[in-house]
Amino acid sequence: MNSQATLSRELALRIGLAARALPDTDAKRLLSVLTDCIGLPITEEKIVGINLKTLKTALAGEFLDVDEPLLTHALSILKSGLDTHPAAQTQQAYVDGDMSGSVRIACASNDGINVDGHFGSCSQFMVYQVSADEARLIDIRNPDIPKGLEVDDKNVFRAELIQDCQVLYIASVGGPAAAKIVKLGIHPMKLPGIESIADIIDQLQTVIAGTPPPWLAKVMGIDATNRFRFEREATG
Amino acid sequence: MALYIVEADCISCGDCEPVCPTMSITEGSIVFKIDKKTCTECEGDFDIPQCVKVCPIDNCILPLEA
Repeated sequence: MNSQATLSRELALRIGLAARALPDTDAKRLLSVLTDCIGLPITEEKIVGINLKTLKTALAGEFLDVDEPLLTHALSILKSGLDTHPAAQTQQAYVDGDMSGSVRIACASNDGINVDGHFGSCSQFMVYQVSADEARLIDIRNPDIPKGLEVDDKNVFRAELIQDCQVLYIASVGGPAAAKIVKLGIHPMKLPGIESIADIIDQLQTVIAGTPPPWLAKVMGIDATNRFRFEREATG
Repeated sequence: MALYIVEADCISCGDCEPVCPTMSITEGSIVFKIDKKTCTECEGDFDIPQCVKVCPIDNCILPLEA
């Protein structure tokens, strides 16, 4: 049986898109690397198992010279059709007080899957409520300025749109815009590269479940006396 | 006289550490901290405390009371 025949149309499209996300890479080159990673036939199930390291070292290090953020992005495109993180797909209702010990985050995104947006130009802010064991997509906000509305400062308008969030994840942000975000009490987190929202939520949940840094505990509303305390170092 | 870092506000960015002229700032187990024995609030070196100048958070580095 021809192995290509088992490649679903959807998956083939994603491989094509992922190849385009990599420098000097066509679908054929990516396919040969993927084949080396997981063997034929290439299936959705097997693609889930690929991580950055296997992708990098496959086929005698074919992608060794490619920047890691680009590879991560390509990987997320490859896996994007998978419903590995249901919260990333469907919007859910949320009423204040539903999730104790949670934090509200906004992710600047263009594709709705990755934190791939610049603060001032992303097409949407994906808003999640995240606790140690749950994550709900509670809103998707369109930052376009409505027709007829006069706005003095586009970045202030955008920041006000997500003012109820405590943390904002962006792929990039300008200095003055970051200052305006901070002023509204939102903590901006500029990521070193493009990461999937699902990964960001996983990381955040690990932090919340562990010992959140004091500033995060504070915005989560954890009372100072209830925060886990390290043994004080002697300062005297 | 010395400054201290408000633990609940410090985000551990580390920007203050290299600008301290007396090397009084170090990373503690929770957040960064200022050694009150060596902090001079930059007197003699700068007009204003350098850590306060570079800190991205408002009111995160304050003078120690008395």
